[in-house]
Amino acid sequence: MRLYDIVVLVTPDLNDEDATKVAAEYKKILTDGGATVVKEEPWGKRRLAFPIQRKRDAHYHYWQVQAEPAAVAEAERRMGLSDQVLRHLAVRVDEELKRSAKMAERLRKKAAKRPPRPAPAAAAPESAAAPERSES
Amino acid sequence: MRMGGGSGRPGGGRGAAGRDGKGGPRKKFFVRRRKVCKFCAEKLEYIDWKDVKLLQGFIPERGKILPRRISGTCALHQRKLQTAIKRARSIALLPYATD
Repeated sequence: MRLYDIVVLVTPDLNDEDATKVAAEYKKILTDGGATVVKEEPWGKRRLAFPIQRKRDAHYHYWQVQAEPAAVAEAERRMGLSDQVLRHLAVRVDEELKRSAKMAERLRKKAAKRPPRPAPAAAAPESAAAPERSES
Repeated sequence: MRMGGGSGRPGGGRGAAGRDGKGGPRKKFFVRRRKVCKFCAEKLEYIDWKDVKLLQGFIPERGKILPRRISGTCALHQRKLQTAIKRARSIALLPYATD
């Protein structure tokens, strides 16, 4: 199971309700594939940054799901086939989140260690123990 | 002998003297503000591609990605920012180009 961010843009030709229904179809594909929806945010009708298929806005639907890759692939495939979906994007985020959490942790530890800063004088490299060579 | 002494002098000696003379009103550098990576400063590790407001700050009018040399973002965060912006573009949250 992996964590994905999924965004679907549904045509503005549909009203809010129908758009939600269309989006729900894809959500169903995911949940049928064993996914659990972690977060769900309908962003509503938003203006597009550039026209897509002559359309200036779209219904944005966002979910964060815990899903198997196969389920996501299938949902994406169907989204691609649909005429009502202008764009879709699925991004795996678990590893990225884990990594950044680790980084944040490291930063915190470093910050905590900072105050009593003991400038460690580099131990003098004592090469006094020179190799004894007996050469005649 | 005279020749030798003369040839040693001209180029380097005169050049240096000339620059020194003009050196007084030297306006070589303007004061540069030290740039700090925004993400490092605010300890934002994960750059969310859904956060349009944040990303918009790195998109000048033209719609291009603001270069590191201007924004001062560190290499690591610039790379993350770049992917975030590109993802946002693919779903029309940000423009590819504007005119």
